[in-house]
Amino acid sequence: MSYVYTVAILTAINVILACGYNVILGYGGLVSVAHPVFFAIGGYGSAMLAMHAGVPVPLAIIAGTLISVLASMFVSVPALRVSGDYLVIATLGFQLGIVHIINSVEITGGANGLTHIPSLVEGAWRREGFLVLVVLIACVSVLAVHRLMHGPYGRAITAMRNDEEAFATLGRNPVRIKITIVAIGSGLAGLAGALYAHFYQYLTPEQFGIFASAALLTMVVVGGAATTWGPVVGAVLLTVLPEIVRFLDLPIAVLGPLQGVIFTALVIFFIFWRQQGLMGGRRAQGGLDAWTGRT
Amino acid sequence: MDAALIAQLAWTGLASASFYCLSAVAFALVLKVNRVWNFAQAGVMVVAYYTLYLALRVAEMPLLPALATALAVTLAASWALERHAFHVLRRRRSNVLTYFIFTIMFAQCAIYLAELVFGTEPKTLAVEIVSPVSMVGPIAVSEWDVTAIVLTVALMVALHLFMERTQAGQSLVAVADNPELAEAYGIDTRRAYVIAMLLAGVLIVACMYLFGTKAALFPSTPLTQLIVFNVIATILAGLGNVFAAGAVAVILSIVQAFSILVIESKWQALLAYALIFVAILLFPRGVVLPRRVRLFRSPDAVAAPVVATPGKADT
Repeated sequence: MSYVYTVAILTAINVILACGYNVILGYGGLVSVAHPVFFAIGGYGSAMLAMHAGVPVPLAIIAGTLISVLASMFVSVPALRVSGDYLVIATLGFQLGIVHIINSVEITGGANGLTHIPSLVEGAWRREGFLVLVVLIACVSVLAVHRLMHGPYGRAITAMRNDEEAFATLGRNPVRIKITIVAIGSGLAGLAGALYAHFYQYLTPEQFGIFASAALLTMVVVGGAATTWGPVVGAVLLTVLPEIVRFLDLPIAVLGPLQGVIFTALVIFFIFWRQQGLMGGRRAQGGLDAWTGRT
Repeated sequence: MDAALIAQLAWTGLASASFYCLSAVAFALVLKVNRVWNFAQAGVMVVAYYTLYLALRVAEMPLLPALATALAVTLAASWALERHAFHVLRRRRSNVLTYFIFTIMFAQCAIYLAELVFGTEPKTLAVEIVSPVSMVGPIAVSEWDVTAIVLTVALMVALHLFMERTQAGQSLVAVADNPELAEAYGIDTRRAYVIAMLLAGVLIVACMYLFGTKAALFPSTPLTQLIVFNVIATILAGLGNVFAAGAVAVILSIVQAFSILVIESKWQALLAYALIFVAILLFPRGVVLPRRVRLFRSPDAVAAPVVATPGKADT
């Protein structure tokens, strides 16, 4: 039963993460691949504050989230001067650089990772308590994003995404909106990272590299970018499916690559045969073409 | 500082630049003609490398048949990539995001397949990767160094002649400059896109052969190391400047060789990643040299850099 709880908690954390990424990628149309880094910054920031500075875990989680928001501004203020391909590549450089730093400095545990991170919930009902909390946070995140994106500010974001020049000529500041979008998405990633760190009590840099970006892209694209429920469905599917493959009882050297092949093939299938993802219907908004204004 | 050490570092950097140069030129060529940031090149590299591995190490074929086999398989993969993927995305007028996701997923799918079939351990193409060395003055010159430099120069000259002297090469330049206009003049753009991919495939096979006879390759190396290097070289050279990307790759490789004197080896990769970020922000159109010292540049390259895909990609 504890295995089921562990998978359910990971699913809820991935829902928060994918939901934040959908704000940036789906609704904002900003092609950043650095999202896993903000997950890492939130996780490492919170863990190190709790371990080295003795900050209580709930406060450390809030601080980790805020550190992610600040870090996002550090990258978005200069990087949002460019867009399209250039933004992808700039964020790729940022991501690889940060992961390399985490991998190389002692305070983060280097390549061995950070262990013995204090848990948020202690005691006999640790898993159950954590599950309730994290599911609650995931639900609040999804609903908050839904409300934000279907309100006046969300319409401004959509307008900016669909035609930035027209948006600017109306006297609106697209850069400010972009920075806000990245901050919101990164804050959710930081929160997810902090929750992850204080549940699994272990972080390693290889979790946040380019492969993590691919997994996250898969969640949003397969579920349906720029839709409320798409990233939720994507996150659930992409967390639970690997666990099913795990039951095939294959050697560990085969299991990881096999999961990778299945997911990458799945994304390629969706790119060519169902661009709108699982949750983006033909008449509904959403999917990979959302931010060209074609859906 | 010891002059012999400097000369040795320069020579080693130059020789190691061979595979970076070939890979960067392949990447820049596809960007220029097909207008795609082709991260899928890492996947094609994996295909080329493991075909060579099967031919040379498993089937123990002689070198030339092994290279011919790898070339055939790689060109088939490149052709399929253009005709069954890029062509479809281009016809749909897909956005930057779609191209990016597809190319990165294709690369990763190839990496995972290689890990599944060949394992995650690094593999070399030669049983013994230590090449015989001769002393030229104070510099140790290995047979591999000479082979790498000669092969790279020969391929660059051949590519240059192809682009300048053949009708097919000229059509690539025309399509790269303006595909709609090229089509209006009767140039088959689809054929040009395929040719660019095939030329890149040839360079990739040479690149992978040189890499695998010098060092061991993890399945993820092409994506995490070579493509990152290509991106930096392409940006610094200025988008659309194919041979300049190769020249920048050579310079970067030599700089990297010298950097061991001042930077701890574990921080060298960070330097490369930081360079991507800085290059994009400060030199989105490349490092513009004064006209008199510009090398390998088309006259309109600075004024009109290639935008990778149709749609909203711009600086």
